[in-house]
Amino acid sequence: MLNKEEILATLEMIQHENLDVRAVTLGINLLDCACDDLARFQQNLRTRIGHLAGSLVNVCNQVGDKYGVPVVNKRISVSPIAVAGANFYPEQMVEIACTLDSIAREVGIDFIGGFSALVQKGMAKGDRSLIRAIPEALSATERVCASVNAASTRAGINMDAVLLLGRIIKRAAHLTADRDGIACAKLCIFANIPQDIPFMAGAYLGVGEPDAVINVGVSGPGVVKKALDRALRMDPRIDLGRLSEIIKRTAYKVTRVGELIGREVAERLNIAFGVVDLSLAPTPNVGDSVGEIFQSLGLRAIGVPGSTAALAMLNDAVKKGGAFASSNVGGLSGAFIPVSEDLNIGQAAADGFLCLDKLEALTSVCSVGLDMVAIPGDVSEETLSAIIADELAIGVINKKTTAARLIPVPGKAAGDKAFFGGLLGESTILAVNNTCGENCFVRHGGLIPAPVQSLTN
Amino acid sequence: MEKAVISILGPDRPGIIAAATRILFDDGCNIENVSQTTLQTEFSGIFIVSIPEELTIEALNRHLESALGPLDQHVYVKPLLPGTTSFNTADCERFVIATRGPDQKGLVARITEVISRHGVNVTNLQAIFKGGDKPVDNVMIYEVDVPPDADQSALYSDLRQRAADLGLTISIQHRRIFEAINRV
Repeated sequence: MLNKEEILATLEMIQHENLDVRAVTLGINLLDCACDDLARFQQNLRTRIGHLAGSLVNVCNQVGDKYGVPVVNKRISVSPIAVAGANFYPEQMVEIACTLDSIAREVGIDFIGGFSALVQKGMAKGDRSLIRAIPEALSATERVCASVNAASTRAGINMDAVLLLGRIIKRAAHLTADRDGIACAKLCIFANIPQDIPFMAGAYLGVGEPDAVINVGVSGPGVVKKALDRALRMDPRIDLGRLSEIIKRTAYKVTRVGELIGREVAERLNIAFGVVDLSLAPTPNVGDSVGEIFQSLGLRAIGVPGSTAALAMLNDAVKKGGAFASSNVGGLSGAFIPVSEDLNIGQAAADGFLCLDKLEALTSVCSVGLDMVAIPGDVSEETLSAIIADELAIGVINKKTTAARLIPVPGKAAGDKAFFGGLLGESTILAVNNTCGENCFVRHGGLIPAPVQSLTN
Repeated sequence: MEKAVISILGPDRPGIIAAATRILFDDGCNIENVSQTTLQTEFSGIFIVSIPEELTIEALNRHLESALGPLDQHVYVKPLLPGTTSFNTADCERFVIATRGPDQKGLVARITEVISRHGVNVTNLQAIFKGGDKPVDNVMIYEVDVPPDADQSALYSDLRQRAADLGLTISIQHRRIFEAINRV
């Protein structure tokens, strides 16, 4: 028999605190679809993805109904197209992206990730083709997401790729200037990319993964905030050690939901279960915000002094809860601070509490990085590359994932508003140092060597 | 060895379980299952016991009444006949139905009428009446066994319709979600 407290607490989390499964992502290996004939390759993609993903949406809805927990997004991640489609030229890569987009529409998913390249140490032919195709591919499609891993702790930072990506991002923004450069919102540049992320835009299926795998992204910033608020109401003098414990216990519960649902979806599809990625991933809805957690913890807004310490505590407690709840925790697993996707963080940026430099500092203690950050449209390619290089360096040195999803908004300046719509939200454009000036440092190119793994102070 | 089912009902007070189990011990009975609960001021307990061959149901009833009568408890004893399960729970899926909304007469009857019509068995029912000036805080929780041949989508849709008619919000969830969230 269940006790009433267990039932009431669970109902409260689902009905009033936005507990949901944010994403069930079906990873599909495409490496054996490789072929030097474009039409045949496209047909191979249709057959493989259509066969495996045909019932994904229905099954997710059925399992969500069974447990009363909505599976908000159903997605697909595929092997890096730069590898599976290494034979093709940039124009053909764009056609491949369009094929992926139409498959995504047919199977009813909102995003397909894996238009990706891994170039942390150098670029091969397929990588160069794919990267050059990114601007056209992301502006010609709605549902395709791209990522490039340009650095790793073992390889260092590929500054040639970083420099090229500055140019690519600017072109992607230019091609979607009428929509505030939205193509850039579908491109993540990574250091230490995990190969099993279920969240977009960084999801792809790594080499070393099985033929097909179900990875689950659970979220729950609203649940964490409400749990903290309850504890603070009962004891306003509660110390941070006990607040951290509350976050940890809440993360445990949220992870268990994700694993339960993910395993059942995997079982019904007869596909292996991969990982639960427990990340506090906000949406542009009130009550579903990571920024609001900072305010519950006593900070005026995310970005004021104390924010880095608060985020470090939050991120660590989330990981501890998740690791206890499941042996299959992976992906990013931490807290996201995407500026435009979180109403509260967006407001902190608009109010001047949060600037690009503080965001960068915050990313040294949380998962992901400079995420959904709108910057002035006239930012130079070199400055853009330099911001990315800074962000990747934090990941490389600290042996963690960092990423940059930067949107230079064409025709708009710092303080203006950018509108992306839907889950991508809206944001005040943040000021950038040396926006248009030259940057000889990044122009040197080459490889910043991998860091020493001893002498760790 | 014969088995008996014993039900005890009356105002809660110290000594009810002690008096009942003393008689069972003295009569040579072995307690196999027991469950008890208290609602507001009232105690209710149900025991399944194995009884020695020389003891009759009537004698056991008499002994229990003589011990529990002074404690204002009503006692009922009946034989437990072997193999008398009327509902096969083996392949059932276990769900939790929770309704939330204003209290009203006939609420449980009208919800359980739908549950029963679909051949679904209620295994536990809890009412949490927080009441007062916040009637929406009244929550009814039905733990149910849904047989494999039940039409789950029809059950869901009938329950949702009935809840809407009664002005209630309803959730229907597999029991495992509550266990996953709350238990290690």
